[in-house]
Amino acid sequence: MNLLNGPEFSRLQGAINAAEMRQRVISNNIANVDTPKFKRSEVLFESLLEQNMGSGNSQFIGRRTNARHIPIGQSSSIPDAKVITDETSVMNNDVNNVDIDREMSLLAKNQLNYNYYVQQLNHDIKMMRIGIEGRA
Amino acid sequence: MRLSNGFDASASALTAQRLRMDVISSNIANAETTRGKYVNGKYEPYQRKMVVLQPTSDSFADILNGQMSGASGASPGVKATRIIEDQTPAKLVYDPSHPDADENGYVKMPNVDVLKEMVDMISASRSYEANITALNATKGMFVKALEIGK
Repeated sequence: MNLLNGPEFSRLQGAINAAEMRQRVISNNIANVDTPKFKRSEVLFESLLEQNMGSGNSQFIGRRTNARHIPIGQSSSIPDAKVITDETSVMNNDVNNVDIDREMSLLAKNQLNYNYYVQQLNHDIKMMRIGIEGRA
Repeated sequence: MRLSNGFDASASALTAQRLRMDVISSNIANAETTRGKYVNGKYEPYQRKMVVLQPTSDSFADILNGQMSGASGASPGVKATRIIEDQTPAKLVYDPSHPDADENGYVKMPNVDVLKEMVDMISASRSYEANITALNATKGMFVKALEIGK
């Protein structure tokens, strides 16, 4: 039975996990705003998910027998969020590249995204409860 | 819970910025202190102090643990590793009436530039505020997570 393990749920779960990880990474960037030679990191998830899900609703789905196969069409697996470090840019004299304005806006954005995901998850659970109880 | 690591990062940064603030206060308070240290029978002026900051995840063990557990992204936070003294030479001020003046009438004053300290102070207090904001954001998310399934 696939009550709480559908693709919707696992996608939301992946998104919430990624948002948690992103919160950690952004907090770390902000904490190290005055650390010389520190390089900022960021979390990749949404773009990976988009890649995984493929573009559009293709009817043609490639069968994967190995994790290294290139997915064709929609795949139901949820990618793991990845942390990448930005080594290229320089913000100020101490070779630190944390732009505090950018980090604070990313922080606000991430918080709103997180709240949105949780709300969506709650909505799904509520719908399911209505289905189980048979009344609104 | 993994989310609490965001707290740790912000909390360590608050500690570090508070320490910076304390050191800056000490520098400003001692901007005129000519008797900072007693060396070989002579007084040396106060020397400006600076905090050395470093990411917490810099040790080999931390990086290895991160790689082994498969958790990408090192354990977060910042730490103040030590307080160093600014080695720029003391300012010489002509003031023959000063009790610590040398035979030519010059007094060695601390190498503290109050203007520079004020700039650092603003930087430290702004960073402190930014970390408070990050902490509150993490807290908000935590509270929101408790609402799942309600």
